Amino acid sequence: MTRLAHLWDQSRCVLCGACIASCNAANYRSSTRENETWGWMRSNIKRFTIETGPRPMLFLIQCQHCDKAPCVTVCPTGASYRDPTDGLVKINPNLCIGCKYCMVACPYEARWLDDETGLPRKCMAGECLSRVKAGLQPVCVEVCPAGARAFGDIDDPNSEISKRLARSRYIRLLEDKGTEPKYFVVV
Amino acid sequence: METTRRDFVKLSLTTAAIAASGFAARELLQIQQTQPVGEIAVPLICGMCAGTCGLLFVRRGDSMYILPNLKHPQPGQCARPSSALQLWDHPLRLKKPLKRAGKRGEGKFQEVDWDAALNEIAAKLREIAERYGPESVVITAHDVHRWFLPVFLTALGSPNLVGHDSTCHYPGTVARMAVFAGGPPPSIDPDYENARYIMFIGRNLNAAMGTVRKLAQAREHGVKIVAVDPRAPNIAYSNVEWVPITPGTDAAFVLSMIHVIISENLYDVSFVKRYTNAPFLIKPDGTPLTEKDLGREGAAHLVYDNAAKQLAPHDKAQDPSLDFEGEVETPQGLVKVRTVFKLLAERAAKYPPEVAEKITGIPAATIVRLARELAIQRGVIEDQWFSAKNGSGDIDGYRAMLILNALLGNIDKRGGLCFKEPARLPTALAAVEAMTGQKLPSPKTRRVDLYKYPISFGHFDAVVDAILEEKPYPIKALFIVATTLFPREINLEKLKKALEKLELIVTIDILPQEHVDWSDYVLPDLMFLERNELAEVRWTLAPAIHISRKALDPPPGVNARHGLWALMEILRRAFPDKAALVGYTEKYADPHKYEEYEEAISNTMINLTAKTWGIKPEDLKTALERDGFYVFKPKTYEVRPYKTPLGTPSGKVEIYSLRFLALKLDPLPDWRQPSYKIPQAPDEFYLVGSKDINTSLHGVFVKNMQWLLDRAVWMNPADAARLGVKDGDLVELESLNNGYKGVARIKITNRVRQGVLFTYHTNGIRSALINHKDYEFIKEGVRSNWFSEHQLTPVLGELATNTSVKVRKL
Repeated sequence: MTRLAHLWDQSRCVLCGACIASCNAANYRSSTRENETWGWMRSNIKRFTIETGPRPMLFLIQCQHCDKAPCVTVCPTGASYRDPTDGLVKINPNLCIGCKYCMVACPYEARWLDDETGLPRKCMAGECLSRVKAGLQPVCVEVCPAGARAFGDIDDPNSEISKRLARSRYIRLLEDKGTEPKYFVVV
Repeated sequence: METTRRDFVKLSLTTAAIAASGFAARELLQIQQTQPVGEIAVPLICGMCAGTCGLLFVRRGDSMYILPNLKHPQPGQCARPSSALQLWDHPLRLKKPLKRAGKRGEGKFQEVDWDAALNEIAAKLREIAERYGPESVVITAHDVHRWFLPVFLTALGSPNLVGHDSTCHYPGTVARMAVFAGGPPPSIDPDYENARYIMFIGRNLNAAMGTVRKLAQAREHGVKIVAVDPRAPNIAYSNVEWVPITPGTDAAFVLSMIHVIISENLYDVSFVKRYTNAPFLIKPDGTPLTEKDLGREGAAHLVYDNAAKQLAPHDKAQDPSLDFEGEVETPQGLVKVRTVFKLLAERAAKYPPEVAEKITGIPAATIVRLARELAIQRGVIEDQWFSAKNGSGDIDGYRAMLILNALLGNIDKRGGLCFKEPARLPTALAAVEAMTGQKLPSPKTRRVDLYKYPISFGHFDAVVDAILEEKPYPIKALFIVATTLFPREINLEKLKKALEKLELIVTIDILPQEHVDWSDYVLPDLMFLERNELAEVRWTLAPAIHISRKALDPPPGVNARHGLWALMEILRRAFPDKAALVGYTEKYADPHKYEEYEEAISNTMINLTAKTWGIKPEDLKTALERDGFYVFKPKTYEVRPYKTPLGTPSGKVEIYSLRFLALKLDPLPDWRQPSYKIPQAPDEFYLVGSKDINTSLHGVFVKNMQWLLDRAVWMNPADAARLGVKDGDLVELESLNNGYKGVARIKITNRVRQGVLFTYHTNGIRSALINHKDYEFIKEGVRSNWFSEHQLTPVLGELATNTSVKVRKL
């Protein structure tokens, strides 16, 4: 089995924004149009900060590619699906009717509505899927200067991500929701 | 992270594929069903800030974007180059030459064609240069195009390239010069990847991203990172100890750590004795004791040799004493002397941790712990880059930091503070002189700011004074090339008066910065994706050069031309004979032909560099075109000051600065209160203006920054609760210094120390040409320099952009 997953290292991220803006450049053609769902740029990664706690705290949130993805469960047409060949959660736009159930079902609010097409968007989008297929890293991983990101097969113990997980303390977000997310946050 | 491999397509093919294809990239982007044509990668030098990281312009199928050049010694990237295509076809981009049609400052223009603009500017330039002398022409710039500007100015006969330096890296640079004979950044820099412990004092690691990468490597072996700053810099989100400090008190904090390290004998005795001037004996008049004082031949600095129990020249002493204090016999009689080390210990003893706690707001126990950690780990304090933001006294703060680095003996060693090895790339001027075979005459005057600030690296405030006072000589024309004036400078009312008085103001830029409204002519420039470049790789210790290759033409409707071509055309049209001196003739009048002129200079620079390093020029060129960069050799550690003396007057690391002594300045660092009024009342605050990773002059214009940055004034939650201010509330800020009042929105955040307000220094850019409904955000917010008015200190010209304000809830 292949289960591709993202790792984001909170202890290393310096919030340079390269992953966020590069997602916009590569997947959304450097669009300047607003992502109105998030009040944010058209990017599949959003920022969440805690400004009142004992110390500054940052989370970068994107699709968690859950093994038990609520967005897949609620999708009435099968447009949202978990690809068994790589474990990624994907959208088939030809089947999507724009009902937004998936957006509501996602506990991470990782999907946003593309007001041009009326369809939901999320990680991974076209260019990154194409890169991964070609054996390249997703853009957010390729650009990260802080060594805060990794992507790869968690079922392969020799993959970079597996090795990093083996030597790191990490959490998964909202694990109690039972979504079996594949977005590993090293803390 | 796995390094992906990609094939570089030869430059000529790339250019053909992208730039000359006739497609505007945005059109390419909108073609949905194109078959993938494979990957094209063009090497780029990032032009978004002075970090100048190594990048690749990538095209895969119908997608175009920017990636870091991962093989490069200093790869990118941050969100700024990621957003570069938003800058490329920015709706506010300057599209055609403009000529002023209203009053200066009004921002009313009419479009003119290139020929008319260049001819009119040339005629005016000629008139000014002939009437007032060529030195009456000043260029102010940042880093873009700066490599070439001395060619234009020297040919014209003006020494006046006066940049942004005084409000940026100047304090750190003066400190590096005083202590190590270093220069502007990054002449000395930490060896990030091998660091065990690194302290950033007031330095946001906002660039270069290669240093962030190296720091990530250091994290693999457990580096500890400490950030001492009134507001938590971006890196403080990562695993960093953030120590919030009261603004303007860095020097007291560092001197206190020096006190701890000296009192606890935690310094590197052998390094300090051998390689610093700590054993020098200082006479009551402050000058060092030399052989001449004893009536002997020679001028060597004397120390007390513990081994021989007598005075000896420093380099001949077996065991120079650090704590000698006594009287020496001279032909003039007995003279009392004390070592530099004693004087330093005495200076630092003014700031025991309990005293420093009261000044800095950092608990005494924390100061002691940090000093011990730093010393035991043989850590390094970063030597600064962008730094003039704390208030006057910064130079001494940085001198104290460099001295503390020296006390730890961690100089030019793995994981320490290291000297960058220069790539020995000749200047454009040297290349031009090599090409023409004749040396250009030096300008007849000194640079205008040096009359006021003799060791300045560029004080624009002195240019402003010279415009207003016509002393030491008149300044009548100003070219503002790819920089900002109003976000950058202080004393803005004075600046406006000076701009009103000038006879010619020309702006060369890609976007309407604030000063555009004051310009007589505005010439649209190429951005970094649209031109070639050759430069030394900065921010890496090994000597290396890199190239940038044109990836795109300007988008449709943007009639931009290379800013350096515009300058050379102005020179040629005003003074053809002077242009000919640097090999520039009418045959380059076509902007595309100019590329040949620049290529000839670049080729000469490459050839000369190849000769210097003993490699074949064609091999160097091939490597540059293939990889985008060339590294001449790895960094060799432990050269200076171990094998080669430093360029300081004594050749040593100067804890006690003989340069400062000669300038009648305190040879040792000390702490002074900032020059602005210190906030006292419950509603009074420090106002700190500084950078973020994404706040560079062009970066803040792109749409992504509407969301990535805020334009609010940051306030600590405890202060907000006390004043009853909620997140998003509007407040009035009134300067305690120049009376300026401004309204700002409050962002409540734990990223700023109590009693301090923080705001980005690139907020509130106001130009009449920022007139697009989607880009109103650029004008939002306030900047600290609006609330600051400052008399520069004599000689050094220290200034403060930080200030203090009273807050009133609206």
